[in-house]
Amino acid sequence: MNVSARMETPALMARDVPQPAAGEQRALGYSCHAVGVSLPGPQGSRKVLAGVDLEVAGGEVVSIVGRSGTGKTTLLRVLGGLLPADEGTVLLGEQAVSGPPASAVTVFQDYARALLPWRTVRRNVALGLEGRRACGRAERERLVADALDAVGLGGRGDDRPWRLSGGMQQRVQIARALALRPRVLLMDEPFGALDAMTKASLQDELLAVHARTAPTIVFVTHDVDEAVYLGDRVLILDGQPGAITDEVPVSLPRPRDQLTTKEHPTFLSLRHRVHDAVGGAHGA
Amino acid sequence: MARNLRHLNVGGIALLVALAALWQLAVGASLIDLDYLPAPTEVVQAGVEQVEAGALVTATLHTLGVALAAWLIALVLGVALGLLLGFSAAARMVFTTSVEVLRTLPVVAFVPVAVLVFGLSTRMEVVVAAWAALWPIVINTLGGVEAVPARLHEVAAVFRLSGARRIRSIVLPAAAPLILVGARLGLSFALIVAVVAEMIGNPQGLGHLVIRTQQALRTEAMFAGILVIGLLGVALNAALLALTARAAPDMFEPGKRS
Repeated sequence: MNVSARMETPALMARDVPQPAAGEQRALGYSCHAVGVSLPGPQGSRKVLAGVDLEVAGGEVVSIVGRSGTGKTTLLRVLGGLLPADEGTVLLGEQAVSGPPASAVTVFQDYARALLPWRTVRRNVALGLEGRRACGRAERERLVADALDAVGLGGRGDDRPWRLSGGMQQRVQIARALALRPRVLLMDEPFGALDAMTKASLQDELLAVHARTAPTIVFVTHDVDEAVYLGDRVLILDGQPGAITDEVPVSLPRPRDQLTTKEHPTFLSLRHRVHDAVGGAHGA
Repeated sequence: MARNLRHLNVGGIALLVALAALWQLAVGASLIDLDYLPAPTEVVQAGVEQVEAGALVTATLHTLGVALAAWLIALVLGVALGLLLGFSAAARMVFTTSVEVLRTLPVVAFVPVAVLVFGLSTRMEVVVAAWAALWPIVINTLGGVEAVPARLHEVAAVFRLSGARRIRSIVLPAAAPLILVGARLGLSFALIVAVVAEMIGNPQGLGHLVIRTQQALRTEAMFAGILVIGLLGVALNAALLALTARAAPDMFEPGKRS
């Protein structure tokens, strides 16, 4: 299958992507070519990613699925500038990624370890604003309050994060990212540790945020349903070293709905296709 | 107040009282007949007399002042050196061997050197006490910096926190519990070494009071001095804990999730 030929026309894939509202910053996408990464392992250096080509249009939601050990997290770390690529080029907009870009924020899976336990929820959300912008105190408080409202935590600003449930803690981490009004959200299995109901409501909150501000979202998951439900496109990462082996455009209409979208015949056939592409087993 | 009372270790205090009573009985009944062992009542009486004469208060204030000054110097230098070692691989390469050698040398061995350099002075006392307090603070700060989870460093990187802000917002708070352990050890060491320096160097403070009364065979006054040194150690440790509990009530609570 010729994956790369299809990937040379990202504009086509991004056709149905919601456009950013007036006044928002210009959308920003990724363009990666022949990316390879080696990591030190017990038996010397191990190649984790090889020949990864990836185009993400501005404002697009791209899901990346794959079995464990195929380098999903590594790829996201490269996009987020937390890990340099050994080979190939990684461009965000026109800029080569070297270190975390100002316009992209990574949301980690392990919210309990990614939040600062000695700070209140409000001061956790303010963390990025302290470092990144020369914004005034009033402006900062407004951005923090907006971000907390966006994830439904307006009343919990004075709590310590470890007093909250897992789903609420992950909402705090998402609010911390949203407070920066990022043009790119990089999410590393953010809902992987949550129960099904919490997961569903956080998925819908994320889609609501995307409908309002249209950031580019790269969403890594091992959950096939989640990948199809959220994405404009689903990319399949497979092999050792990992490479993108397949790409499934998701033609489902937005806004999406946990019941009607997931009952949609298109959803079911896409889900089937992605499941097969990932190499998932069929139950006997 | 009621809360403070509940924190009192009743069993521990009862044991101390029982031991003192046993000591009193043993001396009173001449079960122990040593020439130089006073009864606890005599020790307390001597203590009261020393307080009235002003000697015990002056000596206590001197030793307390030296221990606190030495500890504050060690705290500033120790945290700074610990941060430097924690952040700079080059600094670790250059300094680690020296730190390992210097911190394992018994500090008391330096007192004669310090006496030669600084004379029989309070300055000498502060220097050796600060030296003793420095190492546990350096080692624990370094340990605290190294124990900051990698994920928090990544969070700092994602939010592009600059060096100083990263230290202030992430590293110092994350390392604070271990830095506090170092600070507590350092405070005890500062007090111990200040007393030793007074015994063999600077003729002031509680250490010198103990030696002076011992040489004058006033053992009840000597024991009174020892008692005050012990109480000073307990009080300093309790004060430091109370201070940190007030300054950062939640810092040490994440374990107690509700």
